[in-house]
Amino acid sequence: MDKLKIGTCWLDGCSGCHMSLLDMDEGIVAVLRKADIVFGPLVDAQEWPEGVDVAVIEGAVSSQDDLKLAEAARARSKVVVALGDCAVTGNVPSMRNGIPVRTLLRRVYIEGATERPGSEPPAVPTDGVPALLKHAEPLHSAIKVDVHVPGCPPRPNAILFVLSELLEGRTPDLGSKMRFG
Amino acid sequence: MKIQDFAAFSAAREAGLAKLLPGRPRISVGMGTCGSGNGAEAVYHAFRSEIDARGMAVDLVPVGCFGFCAEEPLVNVWVPGHPLLMLHRVQPKHVDGILNGLGHATLPPAEIVLCKIEEWDHLTGRVKYGTGYPEVPTWNEIPFFNGQVKIVLRNCGLINPDDIEEYIAIGGYQALYKVLIDQNPAGVIEQIKAAKLRGRGGAGYLTGNKWEFLQKAAGTEKYLVCNADEGDPGAYMNRNEIESDPHSLLEGMLIAGFVTGAPKGIIYVRAEYPLAVLRLERAIEQARAYGVLGDNVLGRGFSFDIETVEGAGAFVCGEETALIASLESQSGRPRSRPPFPAQKGLYGKPTNINNVETWYNIAPIVSKGPAWFTETGSTKSAGTKVFSLVGKVHSTGLVEMPLGTPLSKFIYDIGEGGTNGRDIKAVQTGGPSGGCIPAEMFDTPVDYETLAQLGSIMGSGGMVVMDEDNCMVDVARYFIEFTRSESCGKCVPCRVGLDKALKMLNGFTLGTATHEDIGALDELCRMVRDTSLCGLGQSAPNPVLTSLRHFRHEFEDHIVAQRCRAGVCEELALSPCENSCPLHMNIPRFLQLYKEDRVEDAFLSVILDNPLPASTGRVCQHPCDNRCRRAALDEPVNTRDVHRRIADEVLLSSAFEPMVRRVLAQRLEPTGREVAIVGAGPTGLTCAYYLALLGHSVTVYDPRPAAGGMLRYALPEYRLPKAVLDKEVELIERLGVKFQFNVKVGQDLALNDVAHQFDAVFLAIGTWKEAWVYLPGTELTGVIPALPFLEAVSRGEDVPIGRNVVVIGGGNAAIDSARTARRLGANVTVVYRRERKDMPAIPEEIEAAEHEGASVVYLAAPHRIVGDKDGQVRALEAVRTKPGEFDASGRRTPVATDEVIRIECDSVILAVGEKVDPDFCNASGLKVKETGTLEVDRYSLETSRDRFYAGGDLITGASNVSNAMGIGKKAARNIDKRLMGQERFASLIPDFAYDMVPPETQSELARHVPGEMPAAQRVQSYAEVSLGLTAVAAREETARCLRCDIRSVER
Amino acid sequence: MTEKVKVRIDGEVIAATAGQTILEVARANGKYIPALCYMEGLSAVGACRLCMVQVAGVARLLPACTTPVQEGLAIDTTSSQLQSYRKIALELLLAERNHVCAVCVSSGHCELQTLAQEHGVTYVRYPYNYPRLTVDTTHPRYVLDHNRCILCSRCVRTCAEIEGAHVWDMAGRGIDTRLVSELKRPWGEATSCTSCGKCVQACPTGAMAEKGWAVEEMTKQRTVVSRLTSMREGQ
Repeated sequence: MDKLKIGTCWLDGCSGCHMSLLDMDEGIVAVLRKADIVFGPLVDAQEWPEGVDVAVIEGAVSSQDDLKLAEAARARSKVVVALGDCAVTGNVPSMRNGIPVRTLLRRVYIEGATERPGSEPPAVPTDGVPALLKHAEPLHSAIKVDVHVPGCPPRPNAILFVLSELLEGRTPDLGSKMRFG
Repeated sequence: MKIQDFAAFSAAREAGLAKLLPGRPRISVGMGTCGSGNGAEAVYHAFRSEIDARGMAVDLVPVGCFGFCAEEPLVNVWVPGHPLLMLHRVQPKHVDGILNGLGHATLPPAEIVLCKIEEWDHLTGRVKYGTGYPEVPTWNEIPFFNGQVKIVLRNCGLINPDDIEEYIAIGGYQALYKVLIDQNPAGVIEQIKAAKLRGRGGAGYLTGNKWEFLQKAAGTEKYLVCNADEGDPGAYMNRNEIESDPHSLLEGMLIAGFVTGAPKGIIYVRAEYPLAVLRLERAIEQARAYGVLGDNVLGRGFSFDIETVEGAGAFVCGEETALIASLESQSGRPRSRPPFPAQKGLYGKPTNINNVETWYNIAPIVSKGPAWFTETGSTKSAGTKVFSLVGKVHSTGLVEMPLGTPLSKFIYDIGEGGTNGRDIKAVQTGGPSGGCIPAEMFDTPVDYETLAQLGSIMGSGGMVVMDEDNCMVDVARYFIEFTRSESCGKCVPCRVGLDKALKMLNGFTLGTATHEDIGALDELCRMVRDTSLCGLGQSAPNPVLTSLRHFRHEFEDHIVAQRCRAGVCEELALSPCENSCPLHMNIPRFLQLYKEDRVEDAFLSVILDNPLPASTGRVCQHPCDNRCRRAALDEPVNTRDVHRRIADEVLLSSAFEPMVRRVLAQRLEPTGREVAIVGAGPTGLTCAYYLALLGHSVTVYDPRPAAGGMLRYALPEYRLPKAVLDKEVELIERLGVKFQFNVKVGQDLALNDVAHQFDAVFLAIGTWKEAWVYLPGTELTGVIPALPFLEAVSRGEDVPIGRNVVVIGGGNAAIDSARTARRLGANVTVVYRRERKDMPAIPEEIEAAEHEGASVVYLAAPHRIVGDKDGQVRALEAVRTKPGEFDASGRRTPVATDEVIRIECDSVILAVGEKVDPDFCNASGLKVKETGTLEVDRYSLETSRDRFYAGGDLITGASNVSNAMGIGKKAARNIDKRLMGQERFASLIPDFAYDMVPPETQSELARHVPGEMPAAQRVQSYAEVSLGLTAVAAREETARCLRCDIRSVER
Repeated sequence: MTEKVKVRIDGEVIAATAGQTILEVARANGKYIPALCYMEGLSAVGACRLCMVQVAGVARLLPACTTPVQEGLAIDTTSSQLQSYRKIALELLLAERNHVCAVCVSSGHCELQTLAQEHGVTYVRYPYNYPRLTVDTTHPRYVLDHNRCILCSRCVRTCAEIEGAHVWDMAGRGIDTRLVSELKRPWGEATSCTSCGKCVQACPTGAMAEKGWAVEEMTKQRTVVSRLTSMREGQ
């Protein structure tokens, strides 16, 4: 039997959920026996590949790039898992949502900058950084999400449970096992 | 003067009568808020100064409103011995004439005379005004008043609300007097119970039972409260009742005070009703002065006082526990019941709260008895209810009808149907938290139980009528926006649930919602309804839930088709005209391009939106006219004739060849996909054209020898010259579309064979079967169905037709047949069973037929065709009909009378409608609907068989050219999307750079209408009747466009 | 007052005293009905609507916290409709304000968070509001974070009914309703506040907390109100 394909990515988040994913100890071996990780922070691929079985997405949708990546992952994956509170609720990244983006950037890059003599006057960077969206939103507000795994971060064994169920072709029933935070 | 005995009471009564029916003329001006808003103040002052200037012996008094808001200002004129004359739409300029006529009782100009009242039953007393004015209708002969039963509104608009003596004169305070003399509180409660009077605030609880609770409650500290916190948008019956007749309210409360033992009444009235507050306070003051309120009422040893409290306008304060909190100076938030106010109400004391209107029913019930009261209304809901009939209805105003009256009576009889003849879609009853009831259910009786079954409520009696210009999604959104902002914020479902429901509804109006959102919204609204703390939250979701129930397709249209049919949701439409066009032509664009003198660009814009622009420019039903916003200024822009002009300029000139190359240049790369289209009518041609543009290989099959379908074989040459159609078909052919004529699919070629050869099949065979009515005599020689008749004429065949022809029917085919028969030299009579306004044919066509000498007999239903012994038609016999009840389409059903008319003739053309060929449908193996049309998915147009699509009349039944073409266009889009896996339609339209600035000054010119050949000349030949717009006229016409497509202008 | 009645809760026959509410009877008999605005020892207001129950023969749902028991009531507290409505109510609360559990002092000890977990809320189906709300840090010992407030009014009632100070009230209406101290004066300047801190202990979420605690560190003594009430009644 062909191995299944897992893709993971990390939008606006702290990478803690990926740490938790790596923290599954020997569980990761069981997962890798059934599936290959074909996309993710530790994989070379630059584009989300076609034909992924399970997409595991951490982080809120906060910028144009986040949105594009999430949409690509959705279009090319069978099942999408929102991993962790940022992907599920918006969490910490969404705390900026009450502030208009322009005000936010000015506060951070201009009012917050320390001017040194002789340096360029502070400015909001535009090159090489993706434009921020109006709000940092949970993943399901941008794309259809099949499984939500709350937690900040979700416990490793919960992630293992979710992946094992999905790799067996079942829909994991998280019931009351998980809480926000 | 305190009334302390019967003599004093009688004296007050006599004094009042002398004011109502003085020995000189009396003029009363309706000066409720509604009248004043329409200029009644100015009319009143004009009367005042003119009467004073002339030193006339004329009484002038302000009165309240008689209820016909659409006709304000209302003025009553009474001359001793004559009926009370009610005038409407009175302006100060009429004052002179009215006063001049008083001396000899001559009537004012007819346009301001509404009706007369010879005698009025105030229920507590009668007033005889006099008789006369035979030419003036009695008040209840006016449609708006016909059927109204004025119990609550018995005094409104007839007596001076600021004068207690006038109230006493019409029998006011007699019921109170009687109750105080009888000294039988329990008996009064029994009366109210027996009358089955139910609370008019909306919940419909039995008033007698509530009074009994209060009467039995221990202690002497108890309260009566009148809930006059009327806050529903579109409802103003309570305001009018108080403004017009405040004493009836006081009397009702006084009676209740006596029988329940409550010493005090409080009227909680909105501060936004300043006139009502003022009149109420004056009435209270007068009542105290006359001894009917306060200590020792009417000398009977009973004491009761009333005060008013002004509410600050929170909608939720209409809820009784919130109202109590507000009276106690707390913030107006409801609390859980139990305990009920009857146990623990105001300041913790037993309290009874009734709506304004409930109180108005008390005195008549006490005077005339419960048996009289239950004669009116339905078994479970006795009496009447006042409704404010507003919205898209011809006659608006306050309507008092017996409970149980069907909605259709309100809307079509009292309200006289839609405004400007528009189709009414729904009515919302019960204010912002009521539900929307669709027109198909207008036979519903209006009572508490039936409305509840339909998911609506009686509420306080708001009745908002909506027509095809109202988007039900937007209506639901509007009402949720209202209730959300009026939520008190105490309980979670109402506070947060309504906020979320509004956000979700916004998603629908923007077209961003998903299909799952429909279910989620439904579930959320049920939760809010079932778990909210008070009536506000429990009923707030009604507009959404009923719209989802009765108008779910509108929600789906917004998200699946990204369309708002009513054209209300701006994000989903370019402009009202574009939205109404079945082909969704970018009308402002081609108008602007033509205005900029860019005829070729304008043509390209037109042809890419509509492959048959010259044909539709002649025969389209032009729905765009009905939506054009210019109509609000003068008349709609004549867009149809402009695109005809643009098309003719190119198609019929040397510009044609270069234009063909430009259109070909828009064609996408060949895809290698092959599509078969069955039927070369407008639907099939349109679909073929777009699929060819999209790069597919297209073959069209048709059983006839040339393309065009009904356009070629049913539309007479004088409406659509075939040379024009030929050019349009030529363009389609040169795009690469292959035609296989004289092939009948299903007969000459099996459907399965087609399926094997092609990647997709589109069926558009139209409706060529003449519907046959059962009519004795249809077998006679000389009876001809309309379509074969028109087809034979268009093919140039020799059609045997008699000298006298009768056409049966009222659609376009009937009128086309009549006009064609005229051209064949026959005398023509069209027989139609309904009224002219109900005719489905284009009004201009009917008019043209009449000009050409065809006569039309309306309200006549054919009943048999008479033949001679040779089996030849000799005459048609028809039964005269009269308009009956309204049907679901809002038209009156014709009802047969005894009168039979006979029209001598030798030919009868039957044009009673066309239908789909059932043989084709049955043989196709595809799912067929009961109506005989093919069943398809509303949005994708897919049939029950994979890769098989259908459109045009085949799925809608007989319709019209532009509707059919719109479906053909949609089919091409969907077939392409299916074949190519992506949406490519938008790439067909190049970037037309054109001015996106609205004209600085508006063109003053009137609508340009093309010239026509004189009627006498027309019947001599088949030459085209309409001469089209000239280039100058067309260019001027484009300047009349208001450019609704421009959203914002950057300056 | 001590009239005994029998009711049936989820099939089980239970003896109760007339005048008790359904919620009181249920809790006294180990039957769990979720609630956020209800607190033993305070008057019941029926605001959170989580305790809605189905009573046989009654068409509409009733709040257990304000509905008195009557002889023979048959009450269902767990139907699937009730469960689904409770889940919606919890999601609505989570979407109303900014409940960022990951950085909340009450995480792990929060009634809203716990109820959401118990009801299987793994995400919120409704769009978030993201209101911009303030944190009142003016009181020397306590902090009020409007981001976490669910407007249950437990603090309002604790202060008015138990402490007798009535510092707290609700201002505004609808979705803009806000908890205010002393006609919108900052908490630290509210002269009627006795700094007793019972409101903080009564608060079900992290909206009110003692100063000086980090994420997950704020635990509350929920029984402080009921203990005081029962001691006073005992006098």
